[in-house]
Amino acid sequence: MQRLMAGYVRFVDRISDLVGYLAASLIFVMAATLILDAFTRNVIKMPVHWAIEFTQFTLAAYYFMGGSITLKNNDHVRMDLIYSHLTDRGRAIVEVVTSVCLLFFLVTLLMGGISSLEYAIATGERRFSVWNPSVIPIKSLMVACTVLMLLQGVSILFKNIAVLRGKTL
Amino acid sequence: MTYEMIALAMFGAMLFLLATGQRVFAVIGFVAAASALLLYGNGAIELPFNQVFKLFNWYAMLTLPMFIYMGYILSEAGIAEDLYRMLHVWFGRVRGGLAIGTIFLMVIISAMNGLSVAGMAIGATIALPEMLRRGYDKVLISGVVQGGSSLGILIPPSVVLVLYGMIARQPVSKLWFAGLVPGLIMAALFVIYIAVRARMNPSLAPVVPDEDLNMPLSEKLALARAGIIPFVIFFLMTGLFVFGFTSLVESSAVGAFSATLAAVVKGRFTWRLVRETSMKTLSISCMFLWLILAALAFGAVFDGLGAVKAIENLFITQWNLSPWTVIIMMQLSFLVMGTFLDDTAMLVIVAPLYIPLVKTLDLGFDGQLIWFGILYTITCQIAYITPPFGYNLFLMRSLAPKEITLIDIYRSIWPFAAIMVLTIVLLMFFPQLALWLPEHMNVKG
Repeated sequence: MQRLMAGYVRFVDRISDLVGYLAASLIFVMAATLILDAFTRNVIKMPVHWAIEFTQFTLAAYYFMGGSITLKNNDHVRMDLIYSHLTDRGRAIVEVVTSVCLLFFLVTLLMGGISSLEYAIATGERRFSVWNPSVIPIKSLMVACTVLMLLQGVSILFKNIAVLRGKTL
Repeated sequence: MTYEMIALAMFGAMLFLLATGQRVFAVIGFVAAASALLLYGNGAIELPFNQVFKLFNWYAMLTLPMFIYMGYILSEAGIAEDLYRMLHVWFGRVRGGLAIGTIFLMVIISAMNGLSVAGMAIGATIALPEMLRRGYDKVLISGVVQGGSSLGILIPPSVVLVLYGMIARQPVSKLWFAGLVPGLIMAALFVIYIAVRARMNPSLAPVVPDEDLNMPLSEKLALARAGIIPFVIFFLMTGLFVFGFTSLVESSAVGAFSATLAAVVKGRFTWRLVRETSMKTLSISCMFLWLILAALAFGAVFDGLGAVKAIENLFITQWNLSPWTVIIMMQLSFLVMGTFLDDTAMLVIVAPLYIPLVKTLDLGFDGQLIWFGILYTITCQIAYITPPFGYNLFLMRSLAPKEITLIDIYRSIWPFAAIMVLTIVLLMFFPQLALWLPEHMNVKG
């Protein structure tokens, strides 16, 4: 059991890292697209009509793909007035109990995402604009990333359980 | 259960869970999702996910990662050190000159950066050690750094105002221009205060000896070059925007790009810098964006309850309070909450409750929500620097040199907090201080 949990944690953490590195590089994609748009509009007078929507999609991909590594690295803010005074064991206990919050929110997000994706596939949903892109790719990405965040949430839960047993994974 | 009771229960559950130290976004998202399901049944399962597209359509949010990236690159590029050396030589002969120079440094940093943390980090690591070495009074200078860093989110660009704009549905460009004049007034008041204190008690701020400042003119001019890079960045970013060539979001990308160029020019641009900066940018941006997503879900449920109507009814009809009394009560409650909540948690709790209420108050001028955004920003800054649990106090303690104790920091902030309160009072008497500029600026985005 111990070995299985350790393997799971290592595997999920690795995936979170890889997806996170990919997400981190998107900042350059967004900046480049915005500058390209400003340049073509002002200098060669040929606006890039897909630029704004494309950067909006990229921003959504950015924080969904980065969601899991941010969880893993514990980079989300907490109100640590009490939390920071607890022992490692105390923190692990509180974390195990309150991880219900994280998992519940992510599950509702996932269920909402799946039903929204099903709708998009059934109706061939597109955005109303000159570019008129399909929303299926971005919604699929969001659903996939939410699944990864859930897996990461479970990985964090395993780590805390291990702390309670006096082990590290 | 009445709607008021449900609203109260939601708030209570949120505060309790926040106190356990669970991630703020998870707590708020959980309370929102769970109460939506309880109130509206299974049909509400899509509520959290629908907020993704609300966020999606708020185009100005793109400035957030851009400015976070820019802030990291600038602090790594060593621009602040050069600037401080320049200000040091230029203001060295004035009484209290180094402290005044520090305020100027903070203004310049604020004009290139959207977070107050960056200003504090630069002030505590570059300006503080130098002033201590020169025999400046440690209580005075610790206040200077803390007060000065609060300019960061008031002088555009400001990340906090982007978040406020999203929730209050106000254009970010107007909010930014509204923050500029109050920010400069506050900076000017800080400078006057330092100059007066230094004149009354010269031992607080010794003059830098002449031999340190005497240098050939060519060297002085070489130092002035330090001012060129910030000026170019500022012009590219804000200039192109004000003259209508770029939109708000595009100029944030121009800012990120020119900061990167500055790092290249200074020879600090390495593969390691790119990797570390982009990873830090990702984690801070994700932290903010997930929190906003959860806050939107919370706000959506909360709006549906009509809780704001109930509070309005209580304040205006039953207690018969004037709109101005309500505004002042709000500010006082920010002060109390801000001593134990941080930036982001504040915004999330305050936004769904106060912003709709401000919209309904009749204060007798236009642009109330813009004006309120500035008031809110300053009040939060006061809360973060005041004991017992000011968020910035602990940050300052961890960044400042060892000889500055927590007690020094506590004692140092009062005059600066008083100046900030004075700025708020000025804004209440003369709302046009904030509103004139955005009304007369014609900008996109």
